[in-house]
Amino acid sequence: MHISEGILSGGVLALGWAGTVAGVSYGLKKTNPDRIIQTALISSAFFLASLVNIRIGPSSTHMTLLAPMGLILGHAVFPAVFTALLLQALLFGFGGILVLGVNTFVMASASLAVYVIFGRAIRESSGRTRVIVLSFMAGAFAVIIAAVIAGMFLIMTDSDFAGAVKILLIAHIPVAIVEGAVTSFLVIWLKRSVPEFLS
Amino acid sequence: MKGKIFVRLAFTAGLFLLLTGEIFAHGTGYRHSQFEAVALEFMYSTGEAMSYREARVFSPNDEKFSYQSGRTDEKGRFAFVPDTPGKWRVIVRDEEGHQCTAEINITAENLNPKNEPQTHNQQSTILNSYEIFMRSLLGVSLIFNIALIIRRSHAH
Repeated sequence: MHISEGILSGGVLALGWAGTVAGVSYGLKKTNPDRIIQTALISSAFFLASLVNIRIGPSSTHMTLLAPMGLILGHAVFPAVFTALLLQALLFGFGGILVLGVNTFVMASASLAVYVIFGRAIRESSGRTRVIVLSFMAGAFAVIIAAVIAGMFLIMTDSDFAGAVKILLIAHIPVAIVEGAVTSFLVIWLKRSVPEFLS
Repeated sequence: MKGKIFVRLAFTAGLFLLLTGEIFAHGTGYRHSQFEAVALEFMYSTGEAMSYREARVFSPNDEKFSYQSGRTDEKGRFAFVPDTPGKWRVIVRDEEGHQCTAEINITAENLNPKNEPQTHNQQSTILNSYEIFMRSLLGVSLIFNIALIIRRSHAH
Protein backbone atom coordinates (compact mmCIF):
# COMPACT_ATOMS: atom_id res chain seq x y z
CA MET A 1 0.00 0.00 0.00
CA HIS A 2 2.99 2.31 0.43
CA ILE A 3 3.64 4.47 -2.62
CA SER A 4 7.38 4.71 -3.15
CA GLU A 5 9.45 7.86 -3.34
CA GLY A 6 10.02 9.42 -6.76
CA ILE A 7 6.75 8.35 -8.39
CA LEU A 8 4.33 11.17 -7.61
CA SER A 9 4.55 14.74 -8.91
CA GLY A 10 5.33 17.71 -6.67
CA GLY A 11 1.74 19.02 -6.77
CA VAL A 12 0.30 15.65 -5.75
CA LEU A 13 2.84 15.31 -2.91
CA ALA A 14 1.88 18.79 -1.67
CA LEU A 15 -1.81 17.86 -1.82
CA GLY A 16 -1.13 14.74 0.24
CA TRP A 17 0.83 16.75 2.81
CA ALA A 18 -1.94 19.36 3.04
CA GLY A 19 -4.53 16.65 3.76
CA THR A 20 -2.24 14.96 6.27
CA VAL A 21 -1.34 18.14 8.14
CA ALA A 22 -5.05 19.01 8.43
CA GLY A 23 -5.91 15.46 9.54
CA VAL A 24 -3.11 15.23 12.11
CA SER A 25 -3.90 18.69 13.58
CA TYR A 26 -7.61 17.88 13.82
CA GLY A 27 -6.84 14.43 15.23
CA LEU A 28 -4.53 15.79 17.92
CA LYS A 29 -7.13 18.40 18.90
CA LYS A 30 -9.90 15.80 19.17
CA THR A 31 -7.85 13.13 20.96
CA ASN A 32 -8.74 12.63 24.58
CA PRO A 33 -5.47 12.84 26.60
CA ASP A 34 -6.60 9.79 28.56
CA ARG A 35 -6.60 7.75 25.36
CA ILE A 36 -3.14 8.73 24.12
CA ILE A 37 -1.49 5.56 25.44
CA GLN A 38 -4.21 3.50 23.76
CA THR A 39 -3.51 5.43 20.53
CA ALA A 40 0.20 4.58 20.91
CA LEU A 41 -0.67 0.92 21.41
CA ILE A 42 -2.74 0.79 18.21
CA SER A 43 -0.12 2.81 16.33
CA SER A 44 2.50 0.24 17.42
CA ALA A 45 0.29 -2.62 16.22
CA PHE A 46 -0.03 -0.90 12.83
CA PHE A 47 3.73 -0.25 12.73
CA LEU A 48 4.46 -3.94 13.41
CA ALA A 49 1.66 -5.36 11.25
CA SER A 50 3.48 -4.37 8.06
CA LEU A 51 6.35 -6.66 9.07
CA VAL A 52 4.18 -9.75 9.27
CA ASN A 53 3.79 -11.53 5.98
CA ILE A 54 0.87 -13.82 5.35
CA ARG A 55 0.95 -16.41 2.61
CA ILE A 56 -2.02 -16.47 0.23
CA GLY A 57 -1.45 -19.36 -2.17
CA PRO A 58 1.73 -18.75 -4.13
CA SER A 59 1.79 -15.07 -3.19
CA SER A 60 2.06 -13.21 0.12
CA THR A 61 0.77 -10.00 1.61
CA HIS A 62 0.99 -8.09 4.86
CA MET A 63 -1.62 -6.80 7.22
CA THR A 64 -2.68 -3.15 7.42
CA LEU A 65 -5.28 -3.26 10.25
CA LEU A 66 -6.85 -0.12 8.76
CA ALA A 67 -10.40 -0.94 9.86
CA PRO A 68 -9.62 -1.95 13.47
CA MET A 69 -7.54 1.22 13.79
CA GLY A 70 -10.40 3.38 12.57
CA LEU A 71 -12.94 1.64 14.81
CA ILE A 72 -10.77 1.97 17.92
CA LEU A 73 -9.18 5.37 17.39
CA GLY A 74 -11.78 7.35 15.47
CA HIS A 75 -10.42 10.86 14.82
CA ALA A 76 -7.08 10.01 16.46
CA VAL A 77 -6.26 7.74 13.54
CA PHE A 78 -4.37 10.42 11.58
CA PRO A 79 -1.66 11.06 14.22
CA ALA A 80 -1.37 7.31 14.88
CA VAL A 81 -0.89 6.44 11.20
CA PHE A 82 1.46 9.38 10.63
CA THR A 83 3.76 8.34 13.50
CA ALA A 84 3.83 4.69 12.47
CA LEU A 85 4.51 5.49 8.79
CA LEU A 86 7.21 8.01 9.70
CA LEU A 87 9.02 5.36 11.74
CA GLN A 88 8.51 2.73 9.03
CA ALA A 89 10.10 5.13 6.52
CA LEU A 90 13.02 5.97 8.82
CA LEU A 91 13.71 2.50 10.19
CA PHE A 92 12.77 0.20 7.31
CA GLY A 93 12.74 2.40 4.22
CA PHE A 94 9.05 1.75 3.47
CA GLY A 95 7.58 4.51 1.31
CA GLY A 96 9.67 7.60 2.01
CA ILE A 97 9.70 10.97 3.71
CA LEU A 98 8.51 13.12 0.79
CA VAL A 99 5.68 10.72 0.03
CA LEU A 100 4.79 10.34 3.73
CA GLY A 101 2.00 12.92 3.41
CA VAL A 102 0.29 10.98 0.64
CA ASN A 103 0.78 7.59 2.30
CA THR A 104 -0.62 8.88 5.60
CA PHE A 105 -3.59 10.44 3.86
CA VAL A 106 -4.29 7.24 1.88
CA MET A 107 -4.36 4.96 4.93
CA ALA A 108 -5.71 7.30 7.60
CA SER A 109 -8.60 8.56 5.50
CA ALA A 110 -9.61 4.94 4.71
CA SER A 111 -9.54 4.18 8.46
CA LEU A 112 -11.51 7.32 9.24
CA ALA A 113 -14.08 6.41 6.58
CA VAL A 114 -14.57 3.05 8.32
CA TYR A 115 -15.11 4.84 11.64
CA VAL A 116 -17.66 7.23 10.13
CA ILE A 117 -19.57 4.61 8.11
CA PHE A 118 -19.37 1.47 10.26
CA GLY A 119 -18.33 2.69 13.74
CA ARG A 120 -21.74 3.34 15.22
CA ALA A 121 -23.41 0.31 13.62
CA ILE A 122 -20.69 -2.04 14.94
CA ARG A 123 -20.72 -0.49 18.42
CA GLU A 124 -24.49 -0.74 18.75
CA SER A 125 -24.90 -4.20 17.21
CA SER A 126 -25.31 -7.04 19.65
CA GLY A 127 -26.01 -10.03 17.38
CA ARG A 128 -22.83 -12.02 16.73
CA THR A 129 -23.60 -12.68 13.06
CA ARG A 130 -24.43 -9.04 12.41
CA VAL A 131 -21.17 -7.91 14.07
CA ILE A 132 -19.15 -10.44 12.04
CA VAL A 133 -20.75 -9.34 8.75
CA LEU A 134 -20.39 -5.61 9.48
CA SER A 135 -16.77 -6.00 10.65
CA PHE A 136 -15.89 -8.08 7.60
CA MET A 137 -17.40 -5.40 5.35
CA ALA A 138 -15.51 -2.67 7.27
CA GLY A 139 -12.18 -4.52 6.94
CA ALA A 140 -12.58 -5.17 3.23
CA PHE A 141 -13.93 -1.66 2.58
CA ALA A 142 -10.91 -0.02 4.26
CA VAL A 143 -8.45 -1.84 2.00
CA ILE A 144 -10.39 -1.15 -1.18
CA ILE A 145 -10.90 2.54 -0.31
CA ALA A 146 -7.20 2.93 0.49
CA ALA A 147 -6.29 1.32 -2.86
CA VAL A 148 -8.75 3.61 -4.67
CA ILE A 149 -7.32 6.74 -3.01
CA ALA A 150 -3.74 5.59 -3.76
CA GLY A 151 -4.87 4.99 -7.36
CA MET A 152 -6.31 8.50 -7.55
CA PHE A 153 -3.00 10.01 -6.45
CA LEU A 154 -1.18 7.96 -9.10
CA ILE A 155 -3.60 8.98 -11.86
CA MET A 156 -3.40 12.64 -10.77
CA THR A 157 0.35 12.37 -11.35
CA ASP A 158 0.10 10.71 -14.75
CA SER A 159 -2.91 9.22 -16.54
CA ASP A 160 -0.58 6.51 -17.90
CA PHE A 161 -0.75 4.95 -14.43
CA ALA A 162 -4.35 3.83 -15.18
CA GLY A 163 -3.17 0.31 -16.10
CA ALA A 164 -1.05 0.03 -12.97
CA VAL A 165 -3.98 1.26 -10.86
CA LYS A 166 -6.19 -1.49 -12.28
CA ILE A 167 -3.58 -4.07 -11.26
CA LEU A 168 -3.27 -2.40 -7.84
CA LEU A 169 -7.02 -2.73 -7.25
CA ILE A 170 -7.17 -6.36 -8.40
CA ALA A 171 -4.13 -7.25 -6.26
CA HIS A 172 -5.86 -5.84 -3.19
CA ILE A 173 -8.98 -8.03 -3.48
CA PRO A 174 -7.41 -10.99 -1.61
CA VAL A 175 -5.91 -8.53 0.90
CA ALA A 176 -9.40 -7.08 1.45
CA ILE A 177 -10.80 -10.56 2.15
CA VAL A 178 -8.03 -11.34 4.65
CA GLU A 179 -8.43 -7.94 6.33
CA GLY A 180 -12.19 -8.46 6.51
CA ALA A 181 -11.71 -11.81 8.26
CA VAL A 182 -9.08 -10.41 10.66
CA THR A 183 -11.27 -7.39 11.45
CA SER A 184 -14.23 -9.69 12.23
CA PHE A 185 -12.08 -11.75 14.57
CA LEU A 186 -10.64 -8.68 16.31
CA VAL A 187 -13.97 -6.88 16.70
CA ILE A 188 -15.65 -9.98 18.16
CA TRP A 189 -12.73 -10.34 20.58
CA LEU A 190 -12.74 -6.64 21.50
CA LYS A 191 -16.51 -6.58 22.05
CA ARG A 192 -16.23 -9.54 24.40
CA SER A 193 -12.98 -8.72 26.23
CA VAL A 194 -12.48 -4.94 26.12
CA PRO A 195 -15.66 -3.33 24.80
CA GLU A 196 -14.49 0.10 26.03
CA PHE A 197 -11.90 0.07 23.23
CA LEU A 198 -14.73 0.49 20.72
CA SER A 199 -16.53 3.16 22.69
CA MET B 1 -7.95 -3.45 34.94
CA LYS B 2 -6.22 -1.38 32.26
CA GLY B 3 -2.84 -2.89 33.11
CA LYS B 4 -4.32 -6.36 32.70
CA ILE B 5 -5.72 -5.45 29.31
CA PHE B 6 -2.36 -4.20 28.06
CA VAL B 7 -0.57 -7.30 29.36
CA ARG B 8 -3.16 -9.49 27.63
CA LEU B 9 -2.85 -7.54 24.37
CA ALA B 10 0.95 -7.57 24.50
CA PHE B 11 0.88 -11.32 25.11
CA THR B 12 -1.50 -11.87 22.16
CA ALA B 13 0.65 -9.69 19.88
CA GLY B 14 3.83 -11.50 20.96
CA LEU B 15 2.24 -14.88 20.37
CA PHE B 16 1.00 -13.76 16.96
CA LEU B 17 4.48 -12.61 15.94
CA LEU B 18 6.00 -15.84 17.25
CA LEU B 19 3.53 -18.07 15.44
CA THR B 20 3.75 -16.33 12.11
CA GLY B 21 7.46 -17.16 12.09
CA GLU B 22 8.21 -15.32 8.90
CA ILE B 23 8.81 -11.69 9.68
CA PHE B 24 10.76 -9.50 7.38
CA ALA B 25 10.84 -5.94 6.21
CA HIS B 26 9.74 -5.32 2.65
CA GLY B 27 12.11 -2.44 2.10
CA THR B 28 14.55 -2.66 -0.76
CA GLY B 29 18.10 -3.90 -1.05
CA TYR B 30 20.57 -5.44 -3.46
CA ARG B 31 23.53 -7.74 -3.64
CA HIS B 32 25.69 -9.09 -6.42
CA SER B 33 24.12 -12.22 -7.83
CA GLN B 34 26.32 -15.29 -7.65
CA PHE B 35 24.53 -16.77 -10.66
CA GLU B 36 25.92 -16.48 -14.14
CA ALA B 37 24.03 -14.16 -16.48
CA VAL B 38 23.69 -14.65 -20.22
CA ALA B 39 24.51 -11.36 -21.94
CA LEU B 40 23.75 -10.96 -25.64
CA GLU B 41 24.21 -8.21 -28.21
CA PHE B 42 21.62 -7.65 -30.91
CA MET B 43 22.30 -5.82 -34.13
CA TYR B 44 20.88 -5.23 -37.59
CA SER B 45 22.59 -6.73 -40.64
CA THR B 46 24.24 -3.35 -41.17
CA GLY B 47 26.02 -3.76 -37.85
CA GLU B 48 23.93 -1.04 -36.24
CA ALA B 49 22.94 -1.93 -32.68
CA MET B 50 19.28 -2.74 -31.97
CA SER B 51 19.13 -0.02 -29.32
CA TYR B 52 16.30 0.18 -26.79
CA ARG B 53 14.26 -2.55 -28.49
CA GLU B 54 11.71 -4.76 -26.80
CA ALA B 55 13.29 -8.03 -25.59
CA ARG B 56 11.48 -11.12 -24.31
CA VAL B 57 13.04 -14.25 -22.84
CA PHE B 58 11.32 -17.67 -23.05
CA SER B 59 12.44 -20.53 -20.83
CA PRO B 60 12.46 -24.16 -22.03
CA ASN B 61 9.62 -24.84 -19.56
CA ASP B 62 7.21 -22.27 -20.95
CA GLU B 63 7.12 -21.37 -24.61
CA LYS B 64 4.00 -19.26 -24.26
CA PHE B 65 4.56 -16.81 -21.42
CA SER B 66 7.81 -14.92 -21.24
CA TYR B 67 10.20 -15.57 -18.36
CA GLN B 68 11.44 -12.01 -18.51
CA SER B 69 10.86 -8.95 -20.63
CA GLY B 70 12.54 -5.61 -20.98
CA ARG B 71 14.55 -3.55 -23.45
CA THR B 72 18.02 -3.73 -24.85
CA ASP B 73 20.41 -0.96 -23.88
CA GLU B 74 21.91 1.68 -26.17
CA LYS B 75 24.46 -0.81 -27.51
CA GLY B 76 21.78 -3.45 -28.21
CA ARG B 77 22.77 -5.53 -25.17
CA PHE B 78 20.39 -7.57 -23.03
CA ALA B 79 21.11 -9.93 -20.14
CA PHE B 80 19.13 -12.50 -18.19
CA VAL B 81 19.81 -15.17 -15.57
CA PRO B 82 18.48 -18.62 -16.54
CA ASP B 83 17.22 -20.92 -13.83
CA THR B 84 16.81 -24.20 -15.66
CA PRO B 85 18.84 -26.16 -18.23
CA GLY B 86 17.62 -26.42 -21.82
CA LYS B 87 17.12 -24.25 -24.87
CA TRP B 88 16.30 -20.62 -24.04
CA ARG B 89 15.00 -18.15 -26.59
CA VAL B 90 15.49 -14.40 -26.55
CA ILE B 91 13.40 -12.45 -29.03
CA VAL B 92 14.22 -8.83 -29.76
CA ARG B 93 12.00 -6.84 -32.08
CA ASP B 94 11.50 -3.27 -33.15
CA GLU B 95 8.39 -1.30 -34.02
CA GLU B 96 8.97 -1.77 -37.75
CA GLY B 97 8.66 -5.55 -37.64
CA HIS B 98 12.35 -6.51 -37.52
CA GLN B 99 12.91 -9.44 -35.23
CA CYS B 100 15.94 -11.38 -34.09
CA THR B 101 15.64 -14.67 -32.18
CA ALA B 102 18.61 -15.98 -30.23
CA GLU B 103 18.63 -19.58 -29.04
CA ILE B 104 20.94 -20.36 -26.14
CA ASN B 105 21.68 -23.83 -24.79
CA ILE B 106 22.03 -23.79 -21.03
CA THR B 107 23.60 -26.76 -19.28
CA ALA B 108 23.30 -27.66 -15.59
CA GLU B 109 26.89 -26.48 -15.11
CA ASN B 110 25.96 -22.96 -16.25
CA LEU B 111 23.43 -22.76 -13.43
CA ASN B 112 25.87 -23.29 -10.58
CA PRO B 113 26.51 -20.16 -8.56
CA LYS B 114 29.98 -18.67 -8.80
CA ASN B 115 31.99 -19.01 -5.61
CA GLU B 116 33.67 -15.66 -5.94
CA PRO B 117 34.63 -13.75 -2.80
CA GLN B 118 32.50 -10.68 -2.17
CA THR B 119 34.04 -7.49 -3.46
CA HIS B 120 34.82 -4.70 -1.00
CA ASN B 121 32.53 -2.16 -2.58
CA GLN B 122 29.60 -4.55 -2.42
CA GLN B 123 27.07 -3.63 0.21
CA SER B 124 23.72 -5.02 1.17
CA THR B 125 20.82 -3.02 2.53
CA ILE B 126 18.76 -6.13 3.28
CA LEU B 127 18.12 -6.34 7.01
CA ASN B 128 18.67 -9.55 8.92
CA SER B 129 16.18 -10.86 11.50
CA TYR B 130 18.09 -9.38 14.45
CA GLU B 131 18.20 -5.91 12.87
CA ILE B 132 14.49 -6.11 12.05
CA PHE B 133 13.71 -7.13 15.63
CA MET B 134 15.82 -4.32 17.11
CA ARG B 135 14.40 -1.71 14.76
CA SER B 136 10.85 -2.90 15.52
CA LEU B 137 11.58 -2.58 19.23
CA LEU B 138 13.04 0.89 18.69
CA GLY B 139 9.98 1.92 16.65
CA VAL B 140 7.51 0.77 19.32
CA SER B 141 9.58 2.44 22.02
CA LEU B 142 9.63 5.71 20.07
CA ILE B 143 5.85 5.61 19.53
CA PHE B 144 5.23 5.24 23.27
CA ASN B 145 7.75 7.96 24.08
CA ILE B 146 6.08 10.34 21.64
CA ALA B 147 2.70 9.48 23.22
CA LEU B 148 4.03 10.18 26.71
CA ILE B 149 5.45 13.53 25.59
CA ILE B 150 2.09 14.49 24.06
CA ARG B 151 0.24 13.39 27.22
CA ARG B 152 2.61 15.35 29.42
CA SER B 153 2.19 18.48 27.28
CA HIS B 154 -1.62 18.07 27.51
CA ALA B 155 -1.35 17.78 31.31
CA HIS B 156 0.59 21.05 31.49
